[in-house]
Amino acid sequence: MSKGRARTTAAGKLSGERMHEVIRKPVITEKATLAGEHNQVTFQVSLDATKPEIRTAVETLFKVKVKAVNTLRQQGKTKRFRGRPGQRSDYKKAMVTLEEGHSIDVTTGI
Amino acid sequence: MQVTETSADGLKREYKVVLSAADIEEKVQARLEQLKDEVKLPGFRPGKVPESLLRKRYGQAVMGEVLEKAVNDSSQQAITERNLRPAMQPQIEITSYDEGQDLEYSIKLEVMPEIEPADFTKISLERLKVDIPDNEIDEALQRLAEQQKKTEPLSEERPAQSGDVLVIDFKGSVNGESLPGMEAEDHHLELGSNAFVGDFEDQLIGKNKGDEAEVKVTFPEAYGNEKLAGQEAVFQVKVKDILNATPADIDDELAKSYGAEDLEDLKSKLREHLGGEYQSLSRTLVKRQLLDELADRHDFEVPDGLVDMEFEAIWNRLQQDKEAGNLDPEDAEKDEETLKSEYRAIAERRVRLGLLLSEVGRLNEIDVAQEELQQALIQEAQRYPGREQEVFEHYQKNPQSVANLRGPLLEEKVVDHILDQAEVAERSVTPDELREEFDSQDSPEKTEKAKATKSKSDSSSGKKSASSGTAKKAASTKSKSTKKDESEGEGEAATTTKKSASTSKKSTAAKSTASKAGTGTSKAAGSKASSSKSTASKASSSKSSSSKKTSSESA
Repeated sequence: MSKGRARTTAAGKLSGERMHEVIRKPVITEKATLAGEHNQVTFQVSLDATKPEIRTAVETLFKVKVKAVNTLRQQGKTKRFRGRPGQRSDYKKAMVTLEEGHSIDVTTGI
Repeated sequence: MQVTETSADGLKREYKVVLSAADIEEKVQARLEQLKDEVKLPGFRPGKVPESLLRKRYGQAVMGEVLEKAVNDSSQQAITERNLRPAMQPQIEITSYDEGQDLEYSIKLEVMPEIEPADFTKISLERLKVDIPDNEIDEALQRLAEQQKKTEPLSEERPAQSGDVLVIDFKGSVNGESLPGMEAEDHHLELGSNAFVGDFEDQLIGKNKGDEAEVKVTFPEAYGNEKLAGQEAVFQVKVKDILNATPADIDDELAKSYGAEDLEDLKSKLREHLGGEYQSLSRTLVKRQLLDELADRHDFEVPDGLVDMEFEAIWNRLQQDKEAGNLDPEDAEKDEETLKSEYRAIAERRVRLGLLLSEVGRLNEIDVAQEELQQALIQEAQRYPGREQEVFEHYQKNPQSVANLRGPLLEEKVVDHILDQAEVAERSVTPDELREEFDSQDSPEKTEKAKATKSKSDSSSGKKSASSGTAKKAASTKSKSTKKDESEGEGEAATTTKKSASTSKKSTAAKSTASKAGTGTSKAAGSKASSSKSTASKASSSKSSSSKKTSSESA
């Protein structure tokens, strides 16, 4: 996370480095695989990533066409570790719906 | 599954097996299905992992597993369907496989030859039977008596002479320094027993009771104690008493001291003991004859693979001997080629006999009972005194070594079985004749072989007639092979039973026992000439007496 870096507002001009920063990793869970059947792919993305950023990142990195991006912020749980309260980090999930005929194999990696 | 025979040459068979891709796919599917419930992946509840993910993650491993199993099963099936009896592990080679393609592989194997055991009733052998002559027993008794010397004070005083037992105090020193173990009081020393170093005893001859003497001896260079080796030592000796030693009378008393009830009992025990030695000797002889006969009567084809393996084992041992420098001198002068062909012939003979014996065992349902195995195990354990427990554990952990034990046992039983059927003539001989026979069985071949090799070297050095040279070479090879078999042959059948993997071990074990039997007697005749022919009878003093023996010797 490099805050304060000059960021292009035009989503089309995202730097390659930034693109890899935006997309953290695929989310592989039962729910995500279920969504996969509706041509949706789920990623964990950086907290400050915007929908347009995610769209360009996914389109250029995976060479697919994105139909829509839905995001949510998942608040970190409060956990106790050795009796002391702790906080898990927040993270952002992005559900990316792909255009008909496109697909991403999330399990193989980039 | 499709199986096609691609070649059948002698005992060798080759098959091509094709497994269809669908079959394999089905098996993989089934295996994945099975895996599904076991796999735990983060993000998924157990048993809910989608198959596509499973396949991606475990597909490769499952595929390998399934392929191996499929190949094993199908090859096994192919073999059983065709009623083949492979002589050893079939060689399987996968010729082509790609995912989604048919699997094609080839099986190469050698089948067991069809063995028709010859009619054993037509084999005639000669068993030498030894009646132990009374004088041999008397001699043994005499020896026992000598070990149990009676000592009594002299009736009238006289100087000590050889054979007397002196009671002495002595104190020794080297360079004026006294060392532990060099002094004793009231020591009983028999003159002429060579219990002490050098001419210590001789110097005491002629001394009278009560005399004090100074004895100087030089320890030999090769003395056990380094401090003393090669040193000159002075002993202050005081002769306290001179005792007259006479051999114990041969009577019931003597018998009792050896743990027998009376003299007759002792005699019969001795007879039994001596008889046992000769019996095992004559059994070895008969077995040799039998194996020779069997080898002559059977010439079925032998699987090359087994011969190779046996040969390899022999050859390795030879190489080891070579490195250790104790190669048979007769072998040393031969070039590698000759040796190889010689040993190959031996290997083949061994394999043939091994196969034959195991086949006979199979046909007649001869098997080694558990108790017998147990007994052999106990015997084996006794060879390592103090470590019996380890031996037992070793055998418990390694079924393979138990199979090694079983081999010779089975062989013995089969040999017994054949001997029962064969015509065995008995001939009574004296012990000496038996021993001669034992030695002569390989000596004629030795001489013959020596001749052959000699003439061979002549011809090769002269390079006159190449053809006769090779002929003689062949002759020498043959005699050699038989001779080798004599010395090592006792265990040969055991060497190549079906559990061929263990061949080398077995043969070495069997060999060691065989050579023991052989050398034991020759040594007896040779080295201990003074104590007459047999150390065998010396050993006859049973366990109870052996402790006494040592005590009387040390006294």
